[in-house]
Amino acid sequence: MDLGGIFAALLDVVGSPYHMLLLLIAVPFGMLFGAVPGLGGKLGIVLAIPFVFGMDPLAGAIFLISMHSVVHTGGAIPSILFGVPGTGPDAATVVDGLPMTRKGEAGRAIGAALGASGVGGVIGGLFLLAVLPLLRPVVLAFGPAEFFLLALFGITFIAMLSGDSLSKGLLVGMFGLMLATVNLDPQTGTQRYTFDQLFLWDGIDIITAVLGIFAIPEMLALGAAGGSIAALGKRSATSYGFGGVLQGIGDVFRHWGLTIRTSLIGAFIGMIPGLGGDAASWLCYGHAVQSSKTPERFGSGAVEGVIAPETANNSKEGGSLLPTLFFGVPGSSGMAILLGAFVMLGIQPGPELALTGMDVVWALIWALMIANVLAVVMFFVLAPSFSYLSYVRGSVLIPFVLTLTYLGSYLSHRAWENLVLLTALGVLGYFMKKYDWPRPPFVIGLILGPIVEDSFHKAMALWGPAFLLRRGSLFMLALIAASIGAYVWQLRNKSRGSLA
Amino acid sequence: MTPRTFLNGRLLTAVVMLAIFVAMSIMALGFPAKARLMPLLFGIPGSVLALARVIVELRASEHMSDVEKKGNERAQQGEQQMFVWLILFFIGILLFGFIYAAPVLVFAFLCVGKKELLVTGLISAICTWVMLYGLFEIAFAIPLFQGLIVEWLLA
Repeated sequence: MDLGGIFAALLDVVGSPYHMLLLLIAVPFGMLFGAVPGLGGKLGIVLAIPFVFGMDPLAGAIFLISMHSVVHTGGAIPSILFGVPGTGPDAATVVDGLPMTRKGEAGRAIGAALGASGVGGVIGGLFLLAVLPLLRPVVLAFGPAEFFLLALFGITFIAMLSGDSLSKGLLVGMFGLMLATVNLDPQTGTQRYTFDQLFLWDGIDIITAVLGIFAIPEMLALGAAGGSIAALGKRSATSYGFGGVLQGIGDVFRHWGLTIRTSLIGAFIGMIPGLGGDAASWLCYGHAVQSSKTPERFGSGAVEGVIAPETANNSKEGGSLLPTLFFGVPGSSGMAILLGAFVMLGIQPGPELALTGMDVVWALIWALMIANVLAVVMFFVLAPSFSYLSYVRGSVLIPFVLTLTYLGSYLSHRAWENLVLLTALGVLGYFMKKYDWPRPPFVIGLILGPIVEDSFHKAMALWGPAFLLRRGSLFMLALIAASIGAYVWQLRNKSRGSLA
Repeated sequence: MTPRTFLNGRLLTAVVMLAIFVAMSIMALGFPAKARLMPLLFGIPGSVLALARVIVELRASEHMSDVEKKGNERAQQGEQQMFVWLILFFIGILLFGFIYAAPVLVFAFLCVGKKELLVTGLISAICTWVMLYGLFEIAFAIPLFQGLIVEWLLA
């Protein structure tokens, strides 16, 4: 390992006032784009591209990677305070973040998200530094068979996300998978459920689906209840100061095992091209539920339910740099846009980068880690004031969030038809929320659907049904079996406990 | 026992899910073999599971009290009002676009729907307009949806 080169790159970043200034500008912008529902890191990069045009390639790349790497740190704010995920991967934070706010623990939840994001981002970067020379052949060895089974492995986590009713969870997951087939069939070009609508040819927009299933139902419920998001009664707003935030940060270190595990899982998933960050946060949330001794607390305000997706959200950015930079295969959709921006700046991703551009690679990894640390500091200073937002009357909040929700849906694809889809999914999502249908499996089904279908067809074409007997497939099948076995074992323990 | 006895939101949600799965599975039969593989792979078990869910909800509804079925009247009223506002936001933005409709809707929601102070409504409406027009249209140079009627008038 070229330790001299690695630390020279660190000096290049922190020793340059210009690079540090860019980092200081990029971090709040990244957090802002994460915090405003529907904007997200992708739009942030697109909007930033004109500003970095003509910049020194390394400086421009540092600006973009720093901005992109902290999007989910900001995205935790609306997820926790309003139940409105800033971006798709932040949806998992809503599941326990919002109940914590309702219990009057907004500060703690924000602190946990902040600490987890920072630690996750740094671990993700360190992970990449450590495995970069070793894991290159592993990523290359991942074929369609492994992709298919990895996606199925993700879907088995639906069971862990299903709350009390497994059948409802499975149904909602399958509903997501079904809606993922709304598109032009990639095999035959046949229009599936598109009703001759052009905006459906590329499939249902994930941002619209997530906003419809999560944001609109929260606002409808808030308006119907007529109260503020946090049902805090007589508790004073000032109790949500640094104390709560510090407690949340402390929770991250109290659950150090979970923090490290989910950071590593997130970084690993980030490395696998196409699986994306949305899957990382949900898989890590599922892992937190599965590995907990008290899984029944999840969904009603368990701090581990905030820590797990937040660590994964930031750590996967480190992991997804590997395929993006070395194979030119983006690890996520955000990385796909970043890839285009790198090319525009004159950084040509590909195997040649390993031979001639490692100084750039090390600098980007350091920038990613420093941005995460800076985001923690900036966020920590402002965190108590974010908590006050919980006390904003619901009636004042609702029209703004509805406007931003419609805006986010429109901006994601610039198609007004998405507004129709958003409203329909919003109404359905409200009744799902009202009658205890778990909504997270819908999102994971929708995200993994195309991966399942594409990988399955490719694997069948290459190896036929024997693709299941490949070494990587057997490993993934073992993981699926172990996951199902662990769930059944937990159910048995639970029923024995209730009988006793 | 009348059909009304069974009618409740839980059952209707399950029925809607069943209808979606069945309809999508039937439609999938018209696709070529490769294209229908995945929709049927998820659609058929989904339909069976949804049918089972409908039966479970149907049985559960027999044991529900009238209050459980009808729900809290006040909550229902609030729910209906919110659905009306959601539709108004949807139609308003769809027809008149973000720049014109959103500030008016924010003002109307606050002052008419929630009886907030006129000043609160006005400030909120202005903030919305500044965000949409100032930040997105001017600062970010992102043209926002103008609405079907405005687009038609401009055309």
